Amino acid sequence: MTTPLYDVKNVTLRFGGVTSLNNVTMEHRRGEILAVIGPNGAGKTSLFNSLTGVYRPQEGSITFDRDGSTPLSVIGKKAHRVASAGVARTFQASRMFPAMTAFENVKTGAESHRGFGVIGAMVKGPATRRAERASDERAWELLTFVGLEKQANVVSSSLNYGARRRLEIARGLATNPTVLLLDEPAAGTNPSEKVELTELIRRVRDEMGVSILLIEHDMKLVMSLAERLYVLNFGSVIAEGTPDEIRANPAVIEAYLGAADAGDEKEGR
Amino acid sequence: MSGLLHFFSSHFSTLGHEFWPLLVGGLATGCIYAMIAIGYTLVYGVLRLINFAHSEIFMSGGFATFFLMRWLVGTSTPNTFETVLYLILGVLVGGLTGAGVATVLERVAYRPLRRRNAPKLAYLISAIGASYFLFNLAAKEFGRINFSMASPYVNHSLFTIFGAQVYMSYIIILVVGAVMLVALDRLVATSKLGRSIRAVAQDAETASLMGVNIDRTIALTFIIGGFLGGVAGYLYGLSFGVVYTMGFTPALKAFTAAVLGGIGNLRGAVIGGLILGVVESMSVAFVNGAFIDVVAFGVLVLVLLFRPTGILGERLGRSA
Amino acid sequence: MKNFFTSPLAKRIGAMVALVATIAVMTGPPGDPTHPMAGFTGSFTERVSFFGLFPAPRGVLFAALGLLAAGMVLMYRRQAQPSVAKLRDKVVPQYHALAAKKPVRGLWYTAVLLVAIVLPHVVTDPFWQSAMVSQIAIYTLLAIGLNVVVGFAGLLDLGFVAFYAIGAYVTAWVTGALPVPAPFHHVIDAFWAIPVAIVFAMIAGVLLGVPTLRLRGDYLAIVTLGFGEIITIFANNLYGITGGSTGSKQIPHFSFHLGSLKYLWGLDPVPYYYLTLGFVVLFLLIFSSLEHSRVGRAWVAIREDEVAAESLGVNPLKYKVMAFAIGAASAGFAGVMTAGQSFFISPSTFTLAFSINILVLVIFGGMGSIMGVVIGSLVVQTISMYLIHTPPAGFQNSDLYIYLGALLIAMMIFRPAGIWPSKRRRREMTPATLEGEAQ
Repeated sequence: MTTPLYDVKNVTLRFGGVTSLNNVTMEHRRGEILAVIGPNGAGKTSLFNSLTGVYRPQEGSITFDRDGSTPLSVIGKKAHRVASAGVARTFQASRMFPAMTAFENVKTGAESHRGFGVIGAMVKGPATRRAERASDERAWELLTFVGLEKQANVVSSSLNYGARRRLEIARGLATNPTVLLLDEPAAGTNPSEKVELTELIRRVRDEMGVSILLIEHDMKLVMSLAERLYVLNFGSVIAEGTPDEIRANPAVIEAYLGAADAGDEKEGR
Repeated sequence: MSGLLHFFSSHFSTLGHEFWPLLVGGLATGCIYAMIAIGYTLVYGVLRLINFAHSEIFMSGGFATFFLMRWLVGTSTPNTFETVLYLILGVLVGGLTGAGVATVLERVAYRPLRRRNAPKLAYLISAIGASYFLFNLAAKEFGRINFSMASPYVNHSLFTIFGAQVYMSYIIILVVGAVMLVALDRLVATSKLGRSIRAVAQDAETASLMGVNIDRTIALTFIIGGFLGGVAGYLYGLSFGVVYTMGFTPALKAFTAAVLGGIGNLRGAVIGGLILGVVESMSVAFVNGAFIDVVAFGVLVLVLLFRPTGILGERLGRSA
Repeated sequence: MKNFFTSPLAKRIGAMVALVATIAVMTGPPGDPTHPMAGFTGSFTERVSFFGLFPAPRGVLFAALGLLAAGMVLMYRRQAQPSVAKLRDKVVPQYHALAAKKPVRGLWYTAVLLVAIVLPHVVTDPFWQSAMVSQIAIYTLLAIGLNVVVGFAGLLDLGFVAFYAIGAYVTAWVTGALPVPAPFHHVIDAFWAIPVAIVFAMIAGVLLGVPTLRLRGDYLAIVTLGFGEIITIFANNLYGITGGSTGSKQIPHFSFHLGSLKYLWGLDPVPYYYLTLGFVVLFLLIFSSLEHSRVGRAWVAIREDEVAAESLGVNPLKYKVMAFAIGAASAGFAGVMTAGQSFFISPSTFTLAFSINILVLVIFGGMGSIMGVVIGSLVVQTISMYLIHTPPAGFQNSDLYIYLGALLIAMMIFRPAGIWPSKRRRREMTPATLEGEAQ
C-alpha cells in the first residue's frame, strides 16, 4: 500500500495576524515512526491540532486514509469525527479523566465508538453484556501492554507523570487507531522513564501495527526513535529526512543555533 | 400576501410616528441595562463567572433608596436645591447598598469556593442559591407589593425633540448614567486599581506573582459592579417603583446586553445595553406587551448562536 | 488593638455572629410594607420560649445557641487531627474498595421499598396521603430525571419545569381539556397520554438542546432559564391554546382499559401513590442501568474532560442532547402523572421556583447519585410539607424558598457532592484531597 496515512498539502493556518503554519506539505507513510521537531513556537502543536480536526486551516488539504481505500478530508471535520476514523492522540499535559481509575479511563476509550445503544444501555440485554465484557478484556489487555496492570484501580489523578503518559497511550490505543499522535511524550520524564517510553513506542508500532507521529524536544530520544523527521521553523517546513540527514542539515542547525544550548543540555540530562 | 404587507406597513408606520420618543425612552432604559451589565461583565472578566445574584444587588439598591426617598421626600415637593441633593444622596445610598450586598455575596458565596478550587458548576449553583435566598428574604421582610418611589422631582416634560416629549426622568437617567460610566471607564483605563483588574482578568496567576493582591482586586471588582448595579436600581425604582421581583427581568436583559457587547468587555457592556434598550423599545410597535421579554431572550439566543463573542469581543484586558 | 480586629480569631467570631444573626432573621417574623424594619427588629426582640422553657427575647436565645454551636465546633476541630499513619490506613484500602460492590446495599433497598409500599396504610392523614403523591413522589420522579441532566451529564438546566409543563399540557390536550380540540377530535384516556407526552417532551428537549448545548455551562444555565420563562409566558398568554392563566378544563382521571383489564383511578390518592411509586421504581432501575453503561461513562468522560473525550471519538453534542432528551422525557412523564391526578392544570404551577426546587433536591441529595437524589428528595420534601402543614410561629409558606436558597449555598460550601454522594462525584468536586494533602 503506497498511499500515505496522512497526506498534507500546502496547509496554511492563520490566527488573527499570526501565521502559525505556512504552506506546509508533508506526508506520513504507513507503518513509520515519524517525528516533527523544531524550536518552540514553530507550529508543531498547531500542526497536530490541524491533523486532528481541532484547528481548521484556511488553506490547503489534509487527507487521512486509514487503510488505503477510505480517504477522509480532515479539514472542516470535527475532532471526534477524525478520532473515530482511526486517529488517536495524546496531549502535551496529559489529559486524564481525573476521577476515573486507570482501568475506567482505558475502558472508556475501548467503548467510545461503538454504536449508540441507549436502549441497550437502559435495559442490559445479552448483546450489551457481551460488548461490556469485550471492552473489559481490551482495557485489561492494554493496561498490561503499557505496564500499568498493578495500578489498574488507582484513580488516575493520583498517578505519577510517567504512568499518566502510559495511560494516555493505552487509552488512545483502545480506540483501535491506525495512527497514534504523541504530543511531547517525554516532557517532564526522567531518563529511565524516557528509555521505557522509547521501548513502548517502538512496541506500539511493531506489535500493534499502529503508525506513530510524534512531536518532541528531546533530541536524543527523537533521533534514536524516529525513522524520518520533518523540521518546522516559524510555521514552515525547512527540512525533511532521516535522523542522520537532519543532523547534518545546515538549515536545521541554523534554526536551532539560538536554542543550540538548550538542545545540548537536553541531551546531557 | 397583502395581509402580511398590511401588517408590516401598519407596524412600521407606528414605529415611524413614535420613533423619537421610542428612541429616547429606549436609550434611557438602555442606560439602566448598561449599568447593570457592567456588573456582570466585570465579575466575568476577573472570575470567568456569571454572577447570577447580581439581580438581587440591583434590587437591594432599589429598596434602600425607596426607604431613603420616603424618609427624605415624604409627601412634599422639594425645591431645586433639595432635588439635586436628594438625587445625589439617592445615588450614593443606592450605590453603597449595592456595593455592600455585592461584598457580602463575594465573601459568603464565592470566596470559600475559590479557596477550594471548586469547579465552575459549584459557583453557578451557589449563585443561584444566593439569588433565591436574597429575593425571598426581601419578600418576607418588605412584603410583596409593588411600591412606588417618592420622587425627588416632578416628572414633567422638559423639552421636545422632533415631536417627542423628553421627560425629566429620561434626562436624569442619562446624565447619571453617563457620569457613572465615564467615571468607570477612566477608572479602569488609568488607575492602579483599573490596571490590577485588567491584569487579573488576563492572567490571574501572573498578576499575583507581580504583586497584585487577587482577593482585594476581586473584592473591589464586586464593589464597583455592585455600586453601579445599586445606582441602576435607584434609577429604575424612580421610574417603575420597587418590588421584590424587580431584579429578575432587567438583570436577564442586562446579561443579554453584556453578551451582546462582548462579555468581559466594559465598553461592550455599555454599547450592548444601549442597543438592547433601543431595540426593545422599538419592538413595542410590533409585539404585544407581554411578549417584549421574548424579544430580549430572542436577541440572547441569536447572539449566542451566531456571534458568541459579542460585538466588541471578549477580552476585558483589551477593552479600555 | 487594631491587630485584634484583623486577626483570624476576630474574623471567625464575626462570621459566627453574622451567621447566627442571619438565621435569626430568616426564621423570624416577617416585615410588611408599612413596617419594613419590623421583621429585622422583631427577629431579635420578640419574646419566645424554647419548648416552654427559658422565655427570653429571641436575640438572647440565638446568642446562646450560637455560643453553644461555636463551642462544639471548637471541640470537634481540636479532636480531628489525624496522624499521617491513620490517613494511610484509610487511603490504601479505599483504593481496593473502589470497584467492589456492597452486597448489603441490596438489603437496604428492599427494606426501603417495603416501607414505601406499606406507608399509605400507616399514614392515614388525608393531607399527608395526598402530599405523598403530589409533593413527594412526583418531585422524586422529577429529581431523578433532572439528575440525569445535571448529575450524569453535568448540564445545568434551569428550565426543567418547561418539560414538566409540556407533559401536563399535552395530557390536557389529548384528553380534551384545552380550548384547542384534541388531535383528530379523538379524546383518549389520560393513561395513553403517557407516550404522547413523552414524545412531545423529548422533541422539545432535542429542539432546545441542539442549538444550546454547545454553549458553556453558565450560558446554558441562563438560556435554559429563559426557555422556561418563555414557556410560562406562552402558557399564560395564549388563551386560545392553553387556556391562559385560568388553566385548562377538567382533566379526566386515569383509567386503564386493556381487554378485560379495567381500572379507574379516582379521587383517592392511594391508588395514585402506588401507580407513581411503581413508575419511580421503574425509572430508578432504568437510570441506574444507564449510569453504569457506556452511555453513562461517556457522560462522565465529557464531564471530566470534554477535549479528551472528543479525542477518543465521543461526540459531546450527541450525548448531551441525549441526556437532555431523557431528562425531558421523565419530566414530561411526571407532567402526565400530575395532570391525571389534579383536577386541572394552570400555569401557576410551572414556575422558575419549581425548577429551582427540583435542583435543590438533586444538589442536596447528591448530583449523579440516584440513591442520593431519592433520599434528598424525600428529606427535603417531607420537611417542606411538614413546615407547610404545621407551620411554626411566623412561618409563611414562601419562607421555604429562603431556606432552599440558603441550603444551596451551604451545600456548595460544605458538601458539594451532596449528602449521599456517588464516589466519583465526591472525587470530582473536591479535587486533590487524597494526593498528599493530609489535613
